[in-house]
Amino acid sequence: MRKLLFLSLLSLASLALAQSEVRVRYVNVPADAFPAQDPLAALWQRAPVTRVTLLPQTVTTPSLTAPSVPWLEVQALHNGTQVAFLLRWPDATRNASIDVDRFTDAVAIELPLDHQAPPSFMMGHPGGRVHIIHWKAIWQEDLDQGFQDVASLHPNYWVDLYFFADTPVPLYAEGEFPHHPAARSFKTPEALAQLSGAYVRNPVSILDRRVPVEEAMAEGFGTLTSQPKQNATGRGVWAGGQWQVVISRPLVTDDALDAQLGPGLRSVIAFAVWDGGQQNVGARKHYAPWVPLVFEELPQ
Amino acid sequence: MATVYNWQLKRDMAYLYEGQRPKRQIAYVFDTNKCIECQTCTVACKTTWTSGKGQEVMFWNNVETKPYGCYPLRWDLKTLELLGEQSWEGETYTGKTVFEAAPPGERVLGYRPEVEDYASPNLGEDVIAGLVEKGAFFQGVHQVWMFYLARICNHCTYPACLAACPRKAIYKRQEDGIVLIDQSRCRGYRECVKACPYKRVFFNMVTRISEKCIGCYPLVEQGEQPRCVQTCIGKIRLQGWLSAPEAPRRDNPIDYLVYVRKVALPLYPQFGLEPNVYYIPPVHVPRDFLVQMFGPGVDAAIAAYRAAKDDPELLGALLLFGNTPRIVTSYKVQDQQAIGYDEAGREVVRVPFQEPVYIRPYFDAERGVYRHNIT
Ligand code: SF4
Ligand code: SF4
Repeated sequence: MRKLLFLSLLSLASLALAQSEVRVRYVNVPADAFPAQDPLAALWQRAPVTRVTLLPQTVTTPSLTAPSVPWLEVQALHNGTQVAFLLRWPDATRNASIDVDRFTDAVAIELPLDHQAPPSFMMGHPGGRVHIIHWKAIWQEDLDQGFQDVASLHPNYWVDLYFFADTPVPLYAEGEFPHHPAARSFKTPEALAQLSGAYVRNPVSILDRRVPVEEAMAEGFGTLTSQPKQNATGRGVWAGGQWQVVISRPLVTDDALDAQLGPGLRSVIAFAVWDGGQQNVGARKHYAPWVPLVFEELPQ
Repeated sequence: MATVYNWQLKRDMAYLYEGQRPKRQIAYVFDTNKCIECQTCTVACKTTWTSGKGQEVMFWNNVETKPYGCYPLRWDLKTLELLGEQSWEGETYTGKTVFEAAPPGERVLGYRPEVEDYASPNLGEDVIAGLVEKGAFFQGVHQVWMFYLARICNHCTYPACLAACPRKAIYKRQEDGIVLIDQSRCRGYRECVKACPYKRVFFNMVTRISEKCIGCYPLVEQGEQPRCVQTCIGKIRLQGWLSAPEAPRRDNPIDYLVYVRKVALPLYPQFGLEPNVYYIPPVHVPRDFLVQMFGPGVDAAIAAYRAAKDDPELLGALLLFGNTPRIVTSYKVQDQQAIGYDEAGREVVRVPFQEPVYIRPYFDAERGVYRHNIT
């Protein structure tokens, strides 16, 4: 009986934890010691852990009918100028490539622009804008392993010629495997025109990505739009069946499209997780609605 | 869900958006009886639009041998299977469309092909539908059938690709009905790849977004027919404008073939997209197969087509195929000739019903040579 009581108390406690706030712990470290891109830094032990329950997105179509990620753990730090969120969730498979039938693991945080009156947690609503920062495993792979190109997906593809590629394809002797010019060697306008997404600078078609994250804004379903100015950074590592991803940015920016943050601020934060192995993409995602977000004050 | 009228099904049906026909609708007629599967169209399209990185196995135009050819693999069988029984009562479709059969949480019934499904674009080429008996020989009629099916995007009136995109990155142009993917808005969700039952949206693994046939709009905007139409060796293709179903124009060759004479039929109309590539069905293929593929108008279409040689107006429309790069918006038949006009009323093509025959002497005295053959 006592054991049962203990157990139910425990589950109540975890429920309470699940609905509690994300506390952004103040750490007095300079920028170079701040774990803006290090999910494994020792400093993270100083930040409290909040476990957030994830739900399958079924509010709009297309929806996620088979959820596979039950929760996400969040830790957060700030040093008076920067903020970093460490996101940890279970995922048995590491999916870091994209093809017609391959999808990438990913995570996103969402912040309201108006901290007093946050809009709908589902991508905001018309007139109620949200600031969203995405991290994707394939972008991490682009940085860690080089741009994920045709050769990384299909090393045995045989192509005679790509028009206008800067690295000319040499005529190869019989039996010799043809040379694969990298997508990044398509630099002239004529060459880039062969890669229409890159030609029109679609933010998902960037061939020379510098960070594995993307800052975007939204005012409702289907309105996600990349920000012209990108201030965020991050890094993710997968080990032992879980992802650990840091997303960080300056607390205050000169970008009117960013949520402005700071010590002592009380706001909210929402999350989304995509399981690439289960073909999660776009609206087929796991989400957590607004969770209170509290930034610790600077010490007096 | 809104309710729209689909003239190919002769009934209202559910669609995500309100029905609004474009100012004019790009449409094509393909005569399957004339296709020789030379793949000139495929190569013309490939070298024009899809020779970049990430497009290695992408063919916006492909020609497959029916019944076994398919690109991507089993595209038609899979959708037919998913859709279950499809029934017609007379000319009215009484089964479900891919919109009406969408499972919970989905906008469209569909499946997403796998990477291997694109790996053999010409699988099943020239494979016939049955076995040829030992000792059989050609007796004027082929004993086993197959035919070539040329396929491009249908620039559907009710595109499934467009309905499925949660970002509204796909749009249908008001000025010509061409369906395009906004290359700067697409985020590569591949909902369109899954939704299009004809599998005419492709995913580019390098740009990580989706791409599709653009109806050669830079040509069409200048009054020229698309590349696949202009280059067709078999002269099986005609591109033009299809009027709204309630206002067909008899002097518009596309309207005449589709609405007036009904010799050209939509591909799998039961999917419910009102596709705008119309096929003249092959005359030698079992009717059940053709009805499944082109709907209930097959018998009438074949009968009219077979009689075309004694039917000047129909013959005239058929002779416009492949004889001009310009888009023919009206035509007439006069003095055993088919005459086509462009939008400005200028004559752009004149084709005699019967090609003149010139007999040249065996010995050419002027050049001092003998002529061995027709060239
Ligand atoms: S070019 Fe014409 S005849 Fe040749 S395969 Fe294409 S459609 Fe058929
Ligand atoms: S054929 Fe497919 S890709 Fe083309 S408009 Fe129709 S649904 Fe879209």
